[in-house]
Amino acid sequence: MSQAPLLPLSLVERLLSAAMERGAEFAEVYVERNENTAVVLDEKKVKSAQAGLSQGVGLRVIAGAKVGYAYSDDLEDEALFRAAHTAAFIAHGGGSEQSFKVSRTPLPTFYRLTDHLASIAVEKKRDLVVRANRAAHAYDKRIKQVMASYADSTKRVLVANTLGHLAEDTQDLCRISVMAVAEGKKGERRTGSFGGGGRVPFTHFDTFTPEHVAREAARMACATLGASDAIAGEQTVVLAPGWSGILLHEAVGHGLEADFIRKGTSLFAGKVGEKVASELVTVIDDGTMANARGSLNVDDEGTPAQFKVLIERGILKGYMYDSLNAKLMGKSSTGSGRRESFKHTPLPRMTNTYLAPGEDTPEDIIRGVDTGVYCANFGGGQVDITNGNFVFEVSEAYEIKKGKLAKPLKGVTLIGVGPVALKNVSRVGNDPMPDPGMGTCGKDGQGVPVGVGLPTVRIDKMTVGGTRVAGGKR
Amino acid sequence: MSTNPEQLAKKLVARAKKMGAKQAEAFVQIGREATCRVRDGEIEHLTQATSKGVGLRVFVKNRLGFAFTSDFDASGLNAFVDRAIQLAEAAAPNPLNGLPKDDELGDFPDVGPLFDAEVASLAPDWKINAALAMEKVARSHDPRIKTIESVEAGETVGEIFLASSAGVTGASQGTSVYLYTAAVAEADGQLQNSWWYDARRFLKDLESPEHVATEAARRAVRMLGAKKVKSQQVPVVFDPMMAASFIGGIAGAVNGDSVFKKASFLADKLGATIAPPSVTIVDDGLMPKGLATSPFDGEGVPTRRSALIEQGVLKTFLYDAFTARKAKTRSTGNASRGYRSLPSIGTHNLFLEPGTITPEALIKDVPHGLYVTAMLGHGANLVTGEYSRGANGLWIENGELTRPVQEVTVAGNMLDMLQRIDAIANDLTFRGSVGAPTIRFAELTVSGE
Repeated sequence: MSQAPLLPLSLVERLLSAAMERGAEFAEVYVERNENTAVVLDEKKVKSAQAGLSQGVGLRVIAGAKVGYAYSDDLEDEALFRAAHTAAFIAHGGGSEQSFKVSRTPLPTFYRLTDHLASIAVEKKRDLVVRANRAAHAYDKRIKQVMASYADSTKRVLVANTLGHLAEDTQDLCRISVMAVAEGKKGERRTGSFGGGGRVPFTHFDTFTPEHVAREAARMACATLGASDAIAGEQTVVLAPGWSGILLHEAVGHGLEADFIRKGTSLFAGKVGEKVASELVTVIDDGTMANARGSLNVDDEGTPAQFKVLIERGILKGYMYDSLNAKLMGKSSTGSGRRESFKHTPLPRMTNTYLAPGEDTPEDIIRGVDTGVYCANFGGGQVDITNGNFVFEVSEAYEIKKGKLAKPLKGVTLIGVGPVALKNVSRVGNDPMPDPGMGTCGKDGQGVPVGVGLPTVRIDKMTVGGTRVAGGKR
Repeated sequence: MSTNPEQLAKKLVARAKKMGAKQAEAFVQIGREATCRVRDGEIEHLTQATSKGVGLRVFVKNRLGFAFTSDFDASGLNAFVDRAIQLAEAAAPNPLNGLPKDDELGDFPDVGPLFDAEVASLAPDWKINAALAMEKVARSHDPRIKTIESVEAGETVGEIFLASSAGVTGASQGTSVYLYTAAVAEADGQLQNSWWYDARRFLKDLESPEHVATEAARRAVRMLGAKKVKSQQVPVVFDPMMAASFIGGIAGAVNGDSVFKKASFLADKLGATIAPPSVTIVDDGLMPKGLATSPFDGEGVPTRRSALIEQGVLKTFLYDAFTARKAKTRSTGNASRGYRSLPSIGTHNLFLEPGTITPEALIKDVPHGLYVTAMLGHGANLVTGEYSRGANGLWIENGELTRPVQEVTVAGNMLDMLQRIDAIANDLTFRGSVGAPTIRFAELTVSGE
């Protein structure tokens, strides 16, 4: 680390002292400087080029289960000490003057860019969206609208606490996204979207080309033209590999986050060691995957990221912890404490969450289904972690008939209860695939980048939302 | 710090002009927030903070550049302006780019008071006591209340300033205060979580902590024992909160940009009757004390009140200046933004006008059907109008609310759904900036078993 720290370390140490003035147990200083760039193309023109800078400091003070938090985007000493005193207010004791020393913790490096994304010329970023636009229109003349965007951020963070730990990291992140609208007969319009990136150098787009992204978005828009209404009700579904991992993220991932467990609001609370899924199901949350969108050298509390087995052959092995919930529950942090920015306190969150591969070939899995739905691509999803209900929107789906993919379906939504859906997993493919790096997960109003992944998977008796009722007329 | 935000905005605009921008506009936001969460009779979380930022839009040779920063330090501001100008060079020229024109600008309407001094000076004790009261009330509501996931009280105080080379200077100041409770009920191994909240600009308009807590607990307990139902087509009733979310989706489809690109299922319906005469949907930037009330929009155009759908007829689309120019019309004052983003089209206070019957009477006419009280997922495709969302609620049998229902989806086509609205109740309520009364659809598809 050749750069100077985001705040002088002597100031960081004095802020920690100020935060402990009322005798709390723990205090933490989080400093962030985030530079981002975005280029947006719409209606065949580069509409705008944008750049922004956000910087600030968050001060967290913990006394028992009580948290005091204050942040400031003003980096003058006076404003920072005011924030420290405000956060300190949570504790009641008198406390004596204490001084703290912090020292650097060596960090793993799951990503490290020699050329930070913020330093790449904006013209190169612009060229990506221009190329994407051209390729999407060239794919098929039924493509009528294309929106392409590129966004990146180079975020420097510094976390220091009264345990003496100090961690500094630079987190680059980028993504290209393309949305294409295809027009078919009688003015029918279908959209397709695709994108990807990660904590990758800009040269990633030499191989993960904008043309590839654009063609995939355009293909999806054209493929779903003329789609039929899905039949509503329980059916066998097959999930395509990759981005469908969002099912895991929604169906089980959130329910394994320690805050919900501690408060007893997750239906997975108290179930470690129990069978919560089919024995074909092994779920992993891995913050250490090289250059992945959800990876972290260090989480937003200064704990190195980890590889965690959450469910092993159907048995629940453990939860994801941030440091506060870990402490209150007598556990250790799993490096899962994440926050959107200095304006937020850390929460236990996922990183890259995926289903380990099984033994079946994807072809065999599809061949084994007499009638069902093949879910090729997904929109978003949402879960109620208390009753376990989850939904997700299938943006590209096909009917499966006698073991073969048949006509495209529209308006498909899957709904289920997490553990029930996991128990109904009856085949798992040997084709593991991470998503291309496009997910952002929201919780308590905080968005953080995540990865998901899944091999081809068959789930029996999944409720498919649609507008047609089997046997009914409409 | 001591920087006067209005002077800052004007200074940035002047510098941008000097550096070669044909037009420039600075949008400054300054705010503070304070929240309190309690758990088990004790403070769990106190947050207090101030924040600020400025976004600068520049037009250089018909090219658009945009930069934002939270750093107001005078030493960096010139470089910040230069950055915005330099970014413009990477964008494509478009003769339609630019600030609103004179015929779109004008005097700002008087929108009445939006700032409550009582909220601005709310003592931390008020929030702590309100949160403690909510937790106590929710817990004691019913023995089946297992835990209180979250109770929170808080306020925000915010100011915006806008200055542009089109001659606009605007300032607006507002407050908001809110209460939130999420309660978890348990019976026979099933958990149900429900929340309720209220947010207002003025403290005296806020629902009481007791009411918010009781409502959250009542909604959680009544969901205990929820099950799927068979897939079927039946009348479906949306409670006011769910109706508001449906109305929000409709408003997304009158976005002038989507309409221009034919990426909206309402694109070719202007002037057409798309709903029964009982349906009037209004976007109101002037609503007294509305959470989304403001004298001007995100690019300084005066706001207004307009019916989007009036007695079933689609009356207008929503525009900002750029999109209006594309569509050869005028901005409707619907540019929405924060300092970190370019203006984009959005609504102000949006609502469905109430009918005359009570919600009870509306349900009484339903022999079998679903009363929806919570939804999961986004599920509304504004391009095609397809609508399919996870739904929780209560089954209606012979005009009465009976057993709870979960793990089903409600689906239809939004255009079709609008036409199928066959009853609107008189209980218009705002949660946030979107409001609706209870509504009934003659028939929708419910997917379950």
